[in-house]
Amino acid sequence: MIAGAMFYVFALVLIASAVAVVSVRQPVNAVLFLILCFFNAAGLFLLLGAEFLAFILLIVYVGAVAVLFLFVVMMLDVQGDAPRPPLKRFLPMSLGVGAVLLVQVVVMAVFWPQAQAVISVATDIENTKALGRVLYTDFIYPFQVSGLVLLTAMIGAIALTQRGSRGTKRQNVQAQLDRRAEDVVSLHHVESGKGIL
Amino acid sequence: MRDDLMTIYLLPLFWMLLGIGGILGVVLGGTAYLTYAERKVLGAIQLRKGPNVVGPFGLLQPMADGLKVMFKETIIPSGANVGLFIAAPVFTFLLALSAWAVIPFDAGLVLANINVGILYLLAISSLGVYAIIIAGWASNSKYALLGGLRSAAQMVSYEVSIGLIIVTVLLQAGTLNLSKIVEAQKDGWYIFSILLPMAVLFFASALAETNRSPFDLPEGESELVGGFNTEYSAMIFAMFFLGEYANMILMSAMMTVLFLGGWLPPLAALGFVPGFVWFAMKIVLCLFVFLWVRGTLPRYRYDQLMRIGWKFFLPLSLLWVVVVATVKMVGEAG
Amino acid sequence: MADSFLVDYAPIAVFMTIATFVALAAVALSFLLAKHRPDKQKNAPYECGFPPFGDARAKFDVRFYLIAILFIIFDLEIAFLFPWAIVLGDIGWLGFGSMMVFLGVLTVGFIYEWKKGALEWD
Repeated sequence: MIAGAMFYVFALVLIASAVAVVSVRQPVNAVLFLILCFFNAAGLFLLLGAEFLAFILLIVYVGAVAVLFLFVVMMLDVQGDAPRPPLKRFLPMSLGVGAVLLVQVVVMAVFWPQAQAVISVATDIENTKALGRVLYTDFIYPFQVSGLVLLTAMIGAIALTQRGSRGTKRQNVQAQLDRRAEDVVSLHHVESGKGIL
Repeated sequence: MRDDLMTIYLLPLFWMLLGIGGILGVVLGGTAYLTYAERKVLGAIQLRKGPNVVGPFGLLQPMADGLKVMFKETIIPSGANVGLFIAAPVFTFLLALSAWAVIPFDAGLVLANINVGILYLLAISSLGVYAIIIAGWASNSKYALLGGLRSAAQMVSYEVSIGLIIVTVLLQAGTLNLSKIVEAQKDGWYIFSILLPMAVLFFASALAETNRSPFDLPEGESELVGGFNTEYSAMIFAMFFLGEYANMILMSAMMTVLFLGGWLPPLAALGFVPGFVWFAMKIVLCLFVFLWVRGTLPRYRYDQLMRIGWKFFLPLSLLWVVVVATVKMVGEAG
Repeated sequence: MADSFLVDYAPIAVFMTIATFVALAAVALSFLLAKHRPDKQKNAPYECGFPPFGDARAKFDVRFYLIAILFIIFDLEIAFLFPWAIVLGDIGWLGFGSMMVFLGVLTVGFIYEWKKGALEWD
């Protein structure tokens, strides 16, 4: 019963903060509301018994992805007082994305009985273990593909941000350690009145 | 019927509240006296006395500091976002406390024995970055912003190696539950096994994660004035300060649980001493090393800090994941 | 069914509520007890001996973004490692090999970023 009530709390706060993300004017506040969304989504996962997913959502989305968003948004010079672009410009795009999501949800609902058959494996053992037992063997191809996706992301990020060497001098630790006094210091006896040369 | 109500709801609720009160008392008291211990230890290292005026041996110094901080004026800079400016330290403090809910103090002595305790701790520590970025940004001051950014990048970099180090422990323990991780060390603490290098790496990463010396660049006094908390004063400054110290104790507790066998006694013959005493003693030992390091090592430079994190800690811990997994597979096959 | 383990989380929720209350009470008490006499100079952001100029919130080095992106990728990698680490005993050499290939692919990326100098800080 309490779990049922919690579902509505999480779901309502999730929807309300999702609305806030797109409607508040200050971008930093929008990101903070997005983080609130993630928290509530994690709560929903927890109610479903998906402990692992709930915490991974927090670790990856809140702990990493939203940090990047916050970095980006904080440094934009947008203080929320700029005039808003007209809604018309974004309407077709957002309707399109919304339609795609709706279709996905409908497809999911139609195939729900089959999906449930997969989920029911995980009732009696700890769900992290249940996940681990199938992810790396039964779902080996999607798993490897996700590795390749991460590789692409890594290379893409570097390609986009790397601006080549700027002629900065860097510390070469090995060269410093290899340097010996015998190689670089020489002692000369200099007689007075005469130079070294 | 009334008996049922008593035993099912009220009694557990009572124990829960008692446990929460106990943890808050122990952590806050420990934090207060850690500040005292730090000054005493640093004093001893530098041949000074440390605090010795307030009370016998200066033992009441933390109380005096607390009172002083309470009566100080809270200065809010003119350009700051007031709400976020105050929320950031409160959030730090809240995180530093709430992590303790899953730490097992003794066999069965844990407030919330969840299946994924280690993930909870990792999630909490990854949230710590927010307080720092938001504090730096909300202050609207150049030094605070730079300090906040540096601190965030530093914490994020070392979190990667902490995650990988935890994976090596999980490979041995085979569970995400903190109590079970401790129990898995019954036959030998992980620090005395193939995981020894990881224990050292974990401690070094913990220093970086808590922004402690020699990785205390975010608040490197000589370069950045005070880092992300430049503009903070009075109680909201104390919140950051206490949060940092509570995090030090938390990291020591994690070190104890993951590598030093938690509440387990070092020798079976010493089993008559209660487990939480061993747990506390191991934490104190770790904390002493924290302070010792601060009294001994000079501060790193920022490029050195990032280099050692990404080019040494990360590859080494990744390699160790592979090594430990291979050893485990070969051991089970043979 | 799912409720049985949710009970484990109840103390965490109560704990966080109490901790929030303690933190807010401390801040509020300090606000009530201390004298507040703000003035223009006192409230100015810190600067080394001269009045502050410009906005503090400037654009900063793209390296910070790069660090954040790399962190996301490695964090995901660790997320994949967690379930693997605790079930390694059950999934045999196939599971082991599968993860080694995954790590191998990411190591290629790691070597690439190393060679490209993405990990240099100057």
